[in-house]
Amino acid sequence: MTNQFPGSQSIRIFVSSATFAFKALFSWLRPEMWLMQVLTLPLFQMAFFVYLARFAAPTTTNVAFIAVGNAMQVASFSSIFAVCNLTSEEKWQGTLVPLIATPANRFPLFLGRASFQILNGIVTIAVGFLYANTLFQVDMVRTDFVALAIVIVVTTFAMTGFGLMLGSVGLFMRTAMIIANIFLFIGLLICGVNFPVTVLPVWIQPISYAIPMTYGTMAARAAVQGTDILGIAPVLLQEIATGLGSILIGYVLFLSFEVLARRRGTLEEY
Amino acid sequence: MKPQLQTFVSSFRMSQLHFFADPQWIIPNVIAPFIFTAVALMFFQNVSGSLALYAVLGGGMMGMWGNTLYGAGFALGFDRWNGTLEYVLATPSRLVWIVAGRSASSAVLGLVNAIAILCIAVFGYRAELGIANPVLFLLALVLTLASLSSLGVLFSSSFLLTRSASVMTNGLEMPIYVASGSMFPIALLPFWSHPFSWSLGPTWGIEAMRYAAYGELGLGFWIDVLVVFASTIIYLAIGFWLFGIVERKVRRDATLVEY
Repeated sequence: MTNQFPGSQSIRIFVSSATFAFKALFSWLRPEMWLMQVLTLPLFQMAFFVYLARFAAPTTTNVAFIAVGNAMQVASFSSIFAVCNLTSEEKWQGTLVPLIATPANRFPLFLGRASFQILNGIVTIAVGFLYANTLFQVDMVRTDFVALAIVIVVTTFAMTGFGLMLGSVGLFMRTAMIIANIFLFIGLLICGVNFPVTVLPVWIQPISYAIPMTYGTMAARAAVQGTDILGIAPVLLQEIATGLGSILIGYVLFLSFEVLARRRGTLEEY
Repeated sequence: MKPQLQTFVSSFRMSQLHFFADPQWIIPNVIAPFIFTAVALMFFQNVSGSLALYAVLGGGMMGMWGNTLYGAGFALGFDRWNGTLEYVLATPSRLVWIVAGRSASSAVLGLVNAIAILCIAVFGYRAELGIANPVLFLLALVLTLASLSSLGVLFSSSFLLTRSASVMTNGLEMPIYVASGSMFPIALLPFWSHPFSWSLGPTWGIEAMRYAAYGELGLGFWIDVLVVFASTIIYLAIGFWLFGIVERKVRRDATLVEY
């Protein structure tokens, strides 16, 4: 034990938790079903909003704006929905109490649980951009692909942090499913996915800027139009800040709700 | 009362009781159609009233579909998770009547979703919702509801075979929204996708609702009504047939509660 370097215990917990979560997921979900989800979700979401916008305003619709926005937002299915439900799923399976009873640090434990969803989100966004380019004719000739790749990775990490924050509420609530569903879709309305945040009522805009996806869609559009990483750095830094802020708030909330749930005996309530 | 009808009514009642024991579950079912309608109204804010009505009615239909699909997907999924599926199948009643009752219950609750979406659109977004012929609109609405419900029965048979019903449920929500032309005419979609759209009862149902709302009650309306009615019968016939096959298969392979 004395030979261990600082943090090695946390890394071990993270790796173990990530491996376990990956195996658990594919013990009930067939890989072909996962693949079907990755291939169909971006396609139909993008198609729905592109056709809707074309119907509403055939001459002025900016297809690229909507397609890129939805390609990014589709990551919410993994980063928000799946991650937010982590605590609830443990509750349903009856494994939350043994998990909480362990002395393991909660941060690497739940970050490990969420890690596959980060990868899942990156793959889903990549598929979304493939559709945007091939099916919806989004011009990517000038795209800075390095910058776009960095935006995708940062957005998925930041949104996973946001999902973890929402998931911490699920520790105390009966289920996080309700909140997961609300935040899964609300981004379509308030995160600049289908129209700029500036057209929203003024009182909603601060909420928009508290969600990392708002910065992710802005940065992705800039990268698609050819802006390099230095050009989008200010937006990315804001996104990283909101992502880290979400993780920090989520961690504090998790620990507080854990204490509250232990005291009230509501850990297993569902 | 005939045993089949009794099963249907009991299943419907049980499903309603389950829902009202914890009504917060309506939120996950209604949130997507609500947000989509809100986005549509943002797109349509500078467009004339009749086009906005097109989107609002579509949002209502999506609300019904969302609830029916989730009801169908989880009708058997929850039994599987709770370990009660074997008992349900072991009863003398045919499973399809139990699922039909649950699916009808979901569709009726979906109607509440639709009304909620319409109210939010009218009062929250000041969308115009003038229904030219309320009686025929109601007829089209009820037939669409029945069509959605029967589609739920049809999908449920395949959900019995898989432990990934929840994934399939999520996967089927958006394609139906797109293909049925819930918020835009299917003419905008690629031509090769039209046969799929035409095979969906809700496509015809929403068109009939729009005809009634606009007061265009010519041959087009009655053809839509006829097709949506026929599609309901066909979905139910296929659903009953598939349930027979699937029930035999899961009993033979002993894969009923595998998850």
